[in-house]
Amino acid sequence: MTIDWQSYRADNLWDELVTVDGQPRPGADRLLKALTGLTNDEIRERKTAAELAIRAMGITFTVYDDGAHIDREWPFDIVPRLILKPEWDEIARGLKQRVRALNAFIDDVYHHRRVLRDGVVPEEYVLKSREYRSRCAGISPPHGIWAHVCGTDLVRDADGKLYVLEDNLRVPSGVSYMIENRAVMKRVLPELFAHYVIHPVDDYPERLTACLRSISPHETRSPRIVLLTPGVYNSAYFEHSYLAQEMAADLVEGSDLVVGDDDCVYMKTIQGLVRVDVIYRRIDDVFLDPSAFRADSMLGVPGLMRAWQAGNVALANAPGCGVADDKVIYTYVPEIIRYYLGEEPILANVPSYRCSEKDHRDYVLDNLRDLVVKPANESGGYGMLIGPRSTRAERDQFTRSIRANPRNYMAQPMLNLSAAPTLVGNAVEPRHLDLRPFILSGEDVYVTTGGLTRVALRKGSTVVNSSQGGGSKDTWVVELE
Amino acid sequence: MNNTVLSRVAERVYWLGRYLERADSMARLIEVNARMIMDLPVRVPILWRPLIDITGSAALFDELYGPNAEANEHNVCRFLATDTRNPGSLINSIANVRDNARHVRETMPRITFEHFNDLYLFARSALVAGQSRSRRSTALAGISQRTQQLEGFLSQNMLHDAHWDMLRLGNYIERADMTTRIIDVRSADLFASYHELEPFQHIQWSTVLRSFYAMQCYRASVREAIEPPLVLQFLFKDARLPRSYQRCLVGVQRSLRELPRNQAAQQACDRAIAALEAADVQQLAGSESRTALHAFIDQCQVDLAAIHDVIVETYFATAPHTATA
Repeated sequence: MTIDWQSYRADNLWDELVTVDGQPRPGADRLLKALTGLTNDEIRERKTAAELAIRAMGITFTVYDDGAHIDREWPFDIVPRLILKPEWDEIARGLKQRVRALNAFIDDVYHHRRVLRDGVVPEEYVLKSREYRSRCAGISPPHGIWAHVCGTDLVRDADGKLYVLEDNLRVPSGVSYMIENRAVMKRVLPELFAHYVIHPVDDYPERLTACLRSISPHETRSPRIVLLTPGVYNSAYFEHSYLAQEMAADLVEGSDLVVGDDDCVYMKTIQGLVRVDVIYRRIDDVFLDPSAFRADSMLGVPGLMRAWQAGNVALANAPGCGVADDKVIYTYVPEIIRYYLGEEPILANVPSYRCSEKDHRDYVLDNLRDLVVKPANESGGYGMLIGPRSTRAERDQFTRSIRANPRNYMAQPMLNLSAAPTLVGNAVEPRHLDLRPFILSGEDVYVTTGGLTRVALRKGSTVVNSSQGGGSKDTWVVELE
Repeated sequence: MNNTVLSRVAERVYWLGRYLERADSMARLIEVNARMIMDLPVRVPILWRPLIDITGSAALFDELYGPNAEANEHNVCRFLATDTRNPGSLINSIANVRDNARHVRETMPRITFEHFNDLYLFARSALVAGQSRSRRSTALAGISQRTQQLEGFLSQNMLHDAHWDMLRLGNYIERADMTTRIIDVRSADLFASYHELEPFQHIQWSTVLRSFYAMQCYRASVREAIEPPLVLQFLFKDARLPRSYQRCLVGVQRSLRELPRNQAAQQACDRAIAALEAADVQQLAGSESRTALHAFIDQCQVDLAAIHDVIVETYFATAPHTATA
């Protein structure tokens, strides 16, 4: 017995590979046929091979569980997700547009605040955002770019329409898994690659290096780039290590760096102190510099903000850029795009309700059962209310929280996320997924080809975060000759 | 300017080199001892005791297994191979290899981490399964093979920059340390008190050579019968033997030469080499009592510790040094 596509049913939702009547979507026929050609034993064998490869390659993420840090192997599904090149090109254009507008917004917020004065975004939303940093006001990072690395989450609703779910501008992670998924796929199902022209994904580290070089304060010499990590126990440490290796950057912890009396940043090496030009930081703003933000931060470098303000070191992403990744500010992104670029948004926002506005709030409180409520500044899927799956007690709790602090919440209708065939035992079943492409902004703007597809492995679940039962798939942007 | 290493990373890489070497030595030590005992007509329990002495862990062994416990094959192998309560056990050394590798995996070729992982996963499953003699033997052989492959792989594939020099420093210092420990314990006349073992005296010395993979090397190089003075001369001073004390010190010297701010460490290394050159090893070995040889080996250990201390102080200390742009 092999995979039986006739019995595959993804009812009431959009499936990325199969239509409602069980037919392959354009371009998917070759993939489905190739998969059908595998016997049960072969499928099992490939799945095991993928698990072994991931284990051997040490592709892990770290979870904190029961007082201990545990490395879990990265969960991976061997059925790839397909996106046709023409559709992808349009998405990429939309992502570039979005990130250009967001960078213009952040730069404006920390300088002239035209966008606030013109009433496009209410001033209090920005200045009272938890991610607004008053000490960033007046600073001009190179090229006016604040969010150098952005991971934007895209989802498709039941009708196939694509939406931007959120823009992750602070320290988005996942790009290493995008690259490693492809490497695993090549080991496990190499014959599938014969059927398509699949755009490669592995030039990302080089693009990231180019982006970081372009923001170095020193044009005259080859910049020294370091990646600042919270350390081996961080859930994304694998990625930090991976990117440092690929970029030949030094992977540093806060204690490896010092800021001198000359307001320059140095790292402690076997030959003494060596000047650092660009820091790709993977720790949150508030931990960056204990003398500027949280004094109890053990992860940061005292004086780092001073060095950055003096223009002696570049920080990517720039401190304070999270002001544009606030989920309430998100609701204004279409207006932000129109305001700065004079263009219509190419990618749609999910319709959203702001709890700080009375009529929106009333609607949200009356319809909690049907909505997804998100706090303004959480990530990783934490702190959300998923209305249709919530209990009475949870809804009551959220009602109180929203009333107490309306600014901190927004709500969206429950999207029925699209799905794709995912191996469950020897059969394939639909599982919900999203897509996180990465956008680099420096001198130029670059978008990854595809991105990281995350898939909720539990039946019916829409939570794709790896810390909460999510897995991933290789994402193929393909050209049909 | 790119050839520099973070102090924290340098320290990890150095210890990675040491633990990798230690794991290899330990696996070989246990296996060689087990084979030696198989060659003997009677099973003499005390012949497992020297392994405890070589690793300098007698006090811990007595504490864990009771002060009057007889050191036998079962408990010594457990203590040295799988007992996680013994910080120097084989499984702990390999866990340390992996842990250090995890902290510095970005500084080595990507594929290397798979090998480190494989070593750890293999050791964990094979050693636990390896209670019987044949299984233990398979496990130890598998570990030796993997550690050596790893060293070869790193040598052939990683950039020979300051990371590499730090790794080699760790390798050589650990190897020199183990070489002198093995000689020290093995040169005690183990068999003298067992009258019935006298005919097997030569086995003791071939065991010493086998501990260094050096049996064939000895035959090819020395071309004489296996005599204690010649064996010692060979193990201490032969520049062609990769694990000789002399060769280890030269390895340390060469690695240091490539590193910045190496003056103090070079001096410490030069002192160790001078002490070795001045020593008449054959005469030490030939003398009636072992005291003179033992004193010389003590001196070697002191010299090695001095080199280690200077390396720690120069390269790993986090105190700020003078700034260089």
